[in-house]
Amino acid sequence: MVSDYFENMNTSSEKSLWNLFVEGDKNAFSSLFKTYYSPLYSYGLKISSDQCTTEDCLQNFFIYLHKNRRNLSEINNVKSYLFVSFRRAILKNLKQERRFSSYDEIFESNHLFAFSPEELKIEQEISNTKNTALAVLLNSLSTRQREVVYLKYYSELSIKDTAEVMNISYQSVLNTLQKAFSKLRNEIVEQEISAVLQKK
Amino acid sequence: MVSLLLKTILMSNKNLSLLEILINDASFVNWAKNQNQNDVAFWKKWIAEHPDKIDTVYNAKAIVLGIQFNPVQIPENKINRELNDILAQIEPGETAPLKPNKKTSILTYLGIAAAVVLIVTFVNRFSAEDSTIVTHKTVYGEIIDLKLPDGTSVVLNGNSEISYDKSAPRNINLKGEAYFKVKAIPSTQAKFWVNTKDLKVEVYGTQFSVNTRNEKTGVLLDEGSIQLLLGNGSTRKMIPGEMVSYSDDDKEVTHKKVTQDLSYSLWREGTYVFNNTSVYEVMRNVEHAYGLKTEFIDEELKNQKLSGGIPNQNLKICLSAIEKSTGTRIVVKDKRLLIFKN
Repeated sequence: MVSDYFENMNTSSEKSLWNLFVEGDKNAFSSLFKTYYSPLYSYGLKISSDQCTTEDCLQNFFIYLHKNRRNLSEINNVKSYLFVSFRRAILKNLKQERRFSSYDEIFESNHLFAFSPEELKIEQEISNTKNTALAVLLNSLSTRQREVVYLKYYSELSIKDTAEVMNISYQSVLNTLQKAFSKLRNEIVEQEISAVLQKK
Repeated sequence: MVSLLLKTILMSNKNLSLLEILINDASFVNWAKNQNQNDVAFWKKWIAEHPDKIDTVYNAKAIVLGIQFNPVQIPENKINRELNDILAQIEPGETAPLKPNKKTSILTYLGIAAAVVLIVTFVNRFSAEDSTIVTHKTVYGEIIDLKLPDGTSVVLNGNSEISYDKSAPRNINLKGEAYFKVKAIPSTQAKFWVNTKDLKVEVYGTQFSVNTRNEKTGVLLDEGSIQLLLGNGSTRKMIPGEMVSYSDDDKEVTHKKVTQDLSYSLWREGTYVFNNTSVYEVMRNVEHAYGLKTEFIDEELKNQKLSGGIPNQNLKICLSAIEKSTGTRIVVKDKRLLIFKN
């Protein structure tokens, strides 16, 4: 019920909250900040792998939002808007700080969206695989596949919003998900088979 | 039925992939989660009849089930600290943020920091004609920040009123709900009082919140220490995490330990936060904030539980948030809120 509640908040009420923020309402700004600090921080950390960079970027990002609130483009969904903009901000920062020539280079050189076993719930619906093994499997996916998995299941964005955040088409998200889970399923099955064989 | 629907969709939308149809189909989702026996039976049969689609079906199932994460939640005090940093940067010169960070609270408040909530019904002892009395009032849904002559900050919630005599600005009377951040005066150790008909709160430098909505006074202490002078002549010292409520009508005192009752302190940031609170309790908050009366058309809705934040400065947003989180319908009619099952 709690998650339903926040999902609903994200649509109509959050839009109203956003409009109040644009009008300069301090409480609305504080409320948005408190709601999105954790999810955006986690997302940024998955990209930068650096707590200080993420914190600084996030602070500058909210200051930027407040300063430019009247000039921001019309938004449909607060959550995906914040994710898109913060993703852009942190990538720009990484490019400048670490002197990458392009965003592609960032995605190639860093291990973005690495998952740890601690981040996974003990009970997984998809299989009984141990979390350590599942984390290894997730980390064997491509960077794009890991980001889709992260946005869809960790940040709980819809497929449409995931596409918007990553600036790819709805169909690309679907294809990426299908490839990712096809690989995961095959690997899980193989692990289960080898586990059975080892027992004998 | 479902099969027919699926066929129609597949035929009419050549561009829509089977995968896309499956993951958006409520019946398929039920099968994937093993939830509805009719759906489970239907999809078992469908799979048996479409062996060529088995891979897509199992990928779709995996996408529906997904990966379960434990998202990291940054501690609330850390978030508040970051927020205050930003508020200080974007509003230089304006009043300091309400929650000071640990360092300044210790220096400024002599180590005595307390956050208190009072729930009171107050009888105003002053007539409006008396010119030495200063009064601040808010209308429904309005929240204002005030600075008292001694430097104390006050946030006054909707439908509330504070008053004091100009000659004694550290002796405040309250009706409604307010949050105080009392300025300490170390040289004289001057006290600060908040009066209600039930009791008097006595503090040095501290932060606390006062609510005079119900037929009694409730005091909730978050930090520091505080002394209460009850209407029956006795005194009570409180330690953090305790709540005392007292009514001078029946002289009844309750003194108990409370855990994380956020709903009492977050209103000043524009949100009521509820943690597994009944709709009945939630609506009482709304009644007070907006001066409305609630009528439960479907009585059993009273006990439904709700968790999350409800914005308290805009009735429309507030009601729509409650409606959506509880599956109810709330109709506003002549200052009354009628609550139905949806």
